[in-house]
Amino acid sequence: MMETKRRYVIPGDVITTGPFRPEQNVYQEGDRIISTSVGISEIFDNAVRVIPLTGIYMPKTNDLIIGKVIGHSSLSWEFDINSCFVGFLPAQDVFGRDYSPTKDELKERLDKGDLVAARVANFDRSRDPLLTVQDRDLGKIESGELIEISPSKVPRLIGKRGSMIQTIEMATKAMITIGQNGWIVVSSEDPDGLLKAIEAIRMVDAQAHMPNLTERVKSMLGVELGDNNDTINE
Amino acid sequence: MTQLMNENGIRCDGRRVDQLRNISIKVGVLKNADGSAYIEFGKNKILAGVFGPRDVHPKHMANQDSGILRCRYHMSPFSVTERKNPAPSRREIEISKVIKEALLPAVILKDFPRTVVDVFIEVLQADGGTRCAALDAASIALADAGIPMRDLVSACAAGKVADQIVLDINNEEDQEGQADMPIAYMPNLEKITLMQLDGILSPSEYKKCVQTGINGCKLVYEMQRKALMDKYFTNET
Amino acid sequence: MANSVILAQLKREQILELLKEGKRLDGRGLEDQRPLSIDVGVIPKANGSARVRLGDTEIVTGVKIQPDKPFPDLGDKGILICTAEILPLADPNAEPGPPSEEVIELARVVDRGIRETEMLDLHQLVLIENKSVIGIFIDSSVTDANGNLFDACSYASVAALLSCTVPKYEIQNEAPVLVEGVTSKPPVKTIPVSVTMARIGDHIIIDPSSDEEACMDARLTITTNTEGNICAIQKGGIDGFTLEQVIRCSEIALSVGTKIRKQLEKLM
Repeated sequence: MMETKRRYVIPGDVITTGPFRPEQNVYQEGDRIISTSVGISEIFDNAVRVIPLTGIYMPKTNDLIIGKVIGHSSLSWEFDINSCFVGFLPAQDVFGRDYSPTKDELKERLDKGDLVAARVANFDRSRDPLLTVQDRDLGKIESGELIEISPSKVPRLIGKRGSMIQTIEMATKAMITIGQNGWIVVSSEDPDGLLKAIEAIRMVDAQAHMPNLTERVKSMLGVELGDNNDTINE
Repeated sequence: MTQLMNENGIRCDGRRVDQLRNISIKVGVLKNADGSAYIEFGKNKILAGVFGPRDVHPKHMANQDSGILRCRYHMSPFSVTERKNPAPSRREIEISKVIKEALLPAVILKDFPRTVVDVFIEVLQADGGTRCAALDAASIALADAGIPMRDLVSACAAGKVADQIVLDINNEEDQEGQADMPIAYMPNLEKITLMQLDGILSPSEYKKCVQTGINGCKLVYEMQRKALMDKYFTNET
Repeated sequence: MANSVILAQLKREQILELLKEGKRLDGRGLEDQRPLSIDVGVIPKANGSARVRLGDTEIVTGVKIQPDKPFPDLGDKGILICTAEILPLADPNAEPGPPSEEVIELARVVDRGIRETEMLDLHQLVLIENKSVIGIFIDSSVTDANGNLFDACSYASVAALLSCTVPKYEIQNEAPVLVEGVTSKPPVKTIPVSVTMARIGDHIIIDPSSDEEACMDARLTITTNTEGNICAIQKGGIDGFTLEQVIRCSEIALSVGTKIRKQLEKLM
């Protein structure tokens, strides 16, 4: 595996010069690759990106998100998805193809304030993001605690191949649904486990930029420490 | 009339010609704003808060192809010696416009069509050079809000006082000096994004003044950078 | 909205292509100004007036001179106030109502050019120190808005001032009284000339038309005086300038300014 070079950056910082591929949160100016965000830069496999530490959620097709119903028309629900755009869920997605605005009542399925796990079906900037609940584990969330973290820190909460979230779930026996939009639902039958899981999530949110985060979370949860190659070069 | 410079080249507030006033910057000082900063620049005390990207009201201002930037520079009634009428003056409206046009080259809003980023600046105490200090805070508040930016914007005035080109004009020097040239600069892209001048400069003084202002912007940049680093990357939690 | 954006984009590409060959849409060179015509005395009821046409942009400016109270702390100086307004008949997009930030900027930049060059010796306009002074009000109305309002308003204001006559006031019982039939020339010290430049791509052009303004990256207005000094600057637009570009702009403003000043000097 190639070494991942990491560094703390702010907007305008030149991350590198040369024949690299600019990816998220960077841009190319001549042969310089420059950060557009406060975050941690990564050069991996000739690609350069910055993992931001602040900023709003930008919907991407296929993202799993958690949304809150803010209203509906006769054809669709509108969702607060913690973004500058409002999410739309068409009535047909819930009722099926033979949905009829005269006989079906949207309110009976999803009402104002309801939380829903959904996927972004389409988002192309010319229109607001289109949502779907047509998949396993999607749909109305019946119970659990809603936690809000910075959307930019969601990748850290998930961890490499889900390592961080698995660690937390295993140690606390809690069920955690992570929306890419920074909204997270935690549920557990054990109140202690619930509180522990929430504490761990808050810890990741507050310390996402720090080295050895996995170890810190593990030690907070009382889990045995393992190897960690998660380092940051200043 | 105050003596603006003594025989040793020391200015009325004790500074050398190339010296900035004391500057302190704090990032993330407001809870409700998406990004914020507080700056003390000499005796200037200024808050900047950023909201957005968010829905545009009124709707007709929205742009289908890109987000828009709005800026409001406002002085508190108690910020100056004589009470200032709280209604926005023509001066404040003009400054809001030049600040917006100084920040526009830095922000990247194409990914946020139909939305607005609002920058609100409140001058709590004014002491000369408020537009530059306000810009310094606003630029940091935008970065704190996570608005994509090509570079930070750093601002500082230069000018002519007692026949000399000096850095960072204070209030007395602004009132009684010979020229005041506020400059904003993107330090990594080496671009001037705000430039104004009040006062008479020869062509050679003009060149020296721009260069002095740019040097000042670079000094301010180091402080902006440190303030952001302190908020995001210190290990105290 | 979307259509006008696409049009502006197409026009920008066309303008950029031409600029590479040193040409502009209307056939001008990069540092050529549109034809400038100045008529003075067009409003006899005003103490001074001018109609300026810069290309298709037209301005009418009037100067009114009357006794007034001095500003506090400035009791040893007469009053000078410049305003500017874009009339609703000048622009299909202009609306009556409170001035937009563009109009406020226009008025303040025109005012700054005349004030900061110290065009008039305001000390000569004092009747009784701290109590009574002569006020000079220069009001510009844009009657046809077709680009570069900054320079057009500035030339009209300067022309109206240069050609104005100052009525004589005498103090009787501590109050100013007009002396009929006696006037003097205004106390002019220097002639300010504003030169507005636009950057489109890497090219700097002077006196941008409205098409050029719609697609410019950034704008710089520099006012110079008769002595060859730089006295007022305003940057505008959505992008910036390099250090080399702002120095280059100052050189253009001085050389173009010299030519325009000759045209204005004839009015004295």
